[in-house]
Amino acid sequence: MDKFKVTFYPDNKTVTVDKDKTILSAAISAGVYINSACGGDGVCGRCKVIVRKGRVESQATGAISLEEKKKNIHLACSTIIHSDLEVEIPESSRLNFDKLTPEELEERLSGLYSKAEDIQPVRTKLEAGVFKHSPFATKLYLELPKPTLDDSISDLERLYRALRQLQEFPVVQTGLFNIRQLGELLRDSDWKVTLTLGQRDDTVEIVLVEPGDTAHKNFGLAFDIGTTTISGQLIDLNSKKILGTKATYNQQAAFGSDVITRIVYAGNSEGLEKLHNAVCDTVNEIIRDLVSEHKIDLNDLNCIVCSGNTTMIHLLLSVDPAHIRKEPYVPTANFLPVVRAAEAGININPRGLLYCVPGVSSYVGGDTTSGILSSGIYQKEQPCILIDIGTNGEIVLGNKDFLVACAASAGPAFEGSGVTSGMRASSGAIQKVTINKKDLGVTYSTIQDKKPRGICGSGYIDLISSMLEAGIIDKGGKINAAGKRIRSTDLGKEFVVCFKDETDTGSDIVINEADIENLKRSKGAIYSATAILAKHLDIELSKISKFFIAGGFGTYLDIEKAIRIGLLPDLERSKFVFIGNSALAGARQVLLSNQAMAMADKLALTITYFELSVDPKYMDEYSQALFFPHTDLARFPTVRF
Amino acid sequence: MATQLVLEKWPGLISTVTLGAKKEEGGSRATTVKIGGENTLPLLFNEGNIPNKPAIAFEVWDIPPEDWPEELTKAYGKVLNDPFAWADKCVNEYKAQALCLRMQGTHPDFGDKGAQEAAKFVSALLKKVNVPLVITGSGDDAKDNLILPACSEAAKGERCLIGSAVQDNYKTLVASVLADGHSIIAESPIDINIAKQLNILISDMGLSLERIVINPTIGALGYGLEYAYSIMERARLAALSGDKTLASPFICFAGQEAWRAKEAKAAPDQGIIWEVITATSLIQSGADLLVMRHPAAAVKVAKYIDSLFINK
Repeated sequence: MDKFKVTFYPDNKTVTVDKDKTILSAAISAGVYINSACGGDGVCGRCKVIVRKGRVESQATGAISLEEKKKNIHLACSTIIHSDLEVEIPESSRLNFDKLTPEELEERLSGLYSKAEDIQPVRTKLEAGVFKHSPFATKLYLELPKPTLDDSISDLERLYRALRQLQEFPVVQTGLFNIRQLGELLRDSDWKVTLTLGQRDDTVEIVLVEPGDTAHKNFGLAFDIGTTTISGQLIDLNSKKILGTKATYNQQAAFGSDVITRIVYAGNSEGLEKLHNAVCDTVNEIIRDLVSEHKIDLNDLNCIVCSGNTTMIHLLLSVDPAHIRKEPYVPTANFLPVVRAAEAGININPRGLLYCVPGVSSYVGGDTTSGILSSGIYQKEQPCILIDIGTNGEIVLGNKDFLVACAASAGPAFEGSGVTSGMRASSGAIQKVTINKKDLGVTYSTIQDKKPRGICGSGYIDLISSMLEAGIIDKGGKINAAGKRIRSTDLGKEFVVCFKDETDTGSDIVINEADIENLKRSKGAIYSATAILAKHLDIELSKISKFFIAGGFGTYLDIEKAIRIGLLPDLERSKFVFIGNSALAGARQVLLSNQAMAMADKLALTITYFELSVDPKYMDEYSQALFFPHTDLARFPTVRF
Repeated sequence: MATQLVLEKWPGLISTVTLGAKKEEGGSRATTVKIGGENTLPLLFNEGNIPNKPAIAFEVWDIPPEDWPEELTKAYGKVLNDPFAWADKCVNEYKAQALCLRMQGTHPDFGDKGAQEAAKFVSALLKKVNVPLVITGSGDDAKDNLILPACSEAAKGERCLIGSAVQDNYKTLVASVLADGHSIIAESPIDINIAKQLNILISDMGLSLERIVINPTIGALGYGLEYAYSIMERARLAALSGDKTLASPFICFAGQEAWRAKEAKAAPDQGIIWEVITATSLIQSGADLLVMRHPAAAVKVAKYIDSLFINK
């Protein structure tokens, strides 16, 4: 069989591939990252590369313009290699795995913890009193009496006896590893040792025995394993203090931007392994940064709690997620036992423990359980809603008596993917827009006040709301005006938000009718899922007492505008509460209290999963929601255009 | 003790749309036709007020129809080649209350007549007949946007019903209809939500809801009639429950759909039966204006309507 050598620039990495492979698959084999939001289906147009030398065969695609074709630009995913190649990956197609800048981090985490406490002092009070401090891993310093002829019980029993004198611990196991070195260790340390005790359901494991007193060095990690972003916190388990927080993009993004494309990718040969490695690398990188910044020994990290959607947790543990995607959508496991973090490839103390917050179903994962835990809706008298707006939006309705959750497939538009000028909420993203009704002039603000590079989710909500207000689009989302900012294209009319001389990229930032349609579907999916859930439970949306909005996206959301476009129901504005990254907050609670851990397990069992696709009324609700704000205007009494 | 009937009262009312304007109203029609105005479900005379009978408009084309089956063309004979004679025959011989003019000859594939020619034709037809007119384009959006405004202007003041406005193409037509004092057909693809959305979009442009007639798109007997029936029923229930944005009368193109069925062409007279059954079923689901093709079918349905309304 023919083999070709492909060299990628500027990485200067060369790989030998079989005939008939695509440039994208060669790049993955070479460990070179190329942006590929659609996972290689040839639709997203993000994987443009320049073929400097060699012969290729490209499938026709609308994503490459004639001008680009002349410059030898091809889509890496739909271009077959026919000879040895030299390929250049332009900046725009590279995945930027640089850590977020401090400002970006600030943006991304604002409302996360300390910030949320500033905004929502009421909630903080609630949290503080909820769970007793009993961290996932506890350290105990013990001074054992030396054995004598009169007191000759074994070393291990001596250890247990000392423990029991403090408190009746249901110790289940100690591990051969500890027992093997116990005799030597006790004597060398003059019978003064520190035990690390780990929670394992209702029992306790002696995770580690160390010489001397190290009880003050007890640290843990809370992680939110997001499809797009991974955030981690370093916490002092003794003082409950958050020492540091870091976030970075999930390196799995190279294999597709949503869970479905990643599940498909996991089915390829070595796909699962690559995805697993990508998420572990990301997690380990964050851990490495946290420990070096705070001068902590990796060995003093005794435990980690992760919350993430079901697919992310499967991939983290290298469990095949294939069946999540196929009817009847069954995951391999929702409840995962406590395991050693090292088994999953996470670099903390080799005997350190990993707990994943349990999920409910394939599409309502542990991140939702964490959200319920940290929002406290499971304690409320009156029914509340918790909503996490993302590619896969999760919605929970309930109170102290019941909890029902559903997942709405909203698509990635609000995360800035699949829309012409979309981008993530990072530096240079347009986040606020106002339009002058008279001359259709646009005023906007960007994240960090940089030159605009694109529009992020909250920017799109602002933009659509402003366009409706200015009469540029009708309630169906069709562009309805004329002017220098409005042009006709193959994808329908488009509205120029910024002309290229104002932008950082040198191209116009636009929104076209196809984008509006896309965003309309996204908002329709979220709203209709919320409405159908309430209808199913026979609860009027107006009777909802609190409406919690979770997720990074929620932090920038302008409630008024989100209601105006029909994303959120038209409720009293005071009912909406931003809770920031509730997945991370929940993970932290679990890390700090075994009561919270037990509650997470209980909640995951309590939550009823409601499958929207089997509800015959869903399609009707959904098509009613495909209008701004809604076909049934009576549901949005405060919205007038 | 006598049994008391349980009567259902509705808060909503279907708007009344008048087709045609007499001389004193600024037009030149000898008669006008009112449709809609009911505040109850079809034919439930005891529960509410049904002031207007369902009306029938005869379909007339500006060019000889190419795809009509023989049984249908036979009924009209030579007049199909002369739209004025055809219109005249419908009014004088079959006593048509209204005509539905289809400007098929403006379609790029069927003659591609221009706006001026179309406008001239409408003016001439208005002089020839004195019943109210429904005017529809050829269904080619781009072309309809050129010719319908011209037809609308030519018929200014005659209070015609002009269509069709669809979700992706309504602005041009709404603007013309608004300027020239007509009413509009809002067409949706058997979808209650789109019907409602389109009504909102049209009324957002300033054309009042009282000047909209919904074409819900129907299927003939055996070709989705029951689907159309349930959509119409749902829309009517919503309207009577108080949803003003759906409280418009229905126009149903019964003839066009019935004669597409292969059964309609399978045996003599079967097409007429097909058209009659389709139309009468639609009356029961709330049709206010039926556009029909075969004169025998139209006459039969008119008789049926009279018998339903015998006590009114």
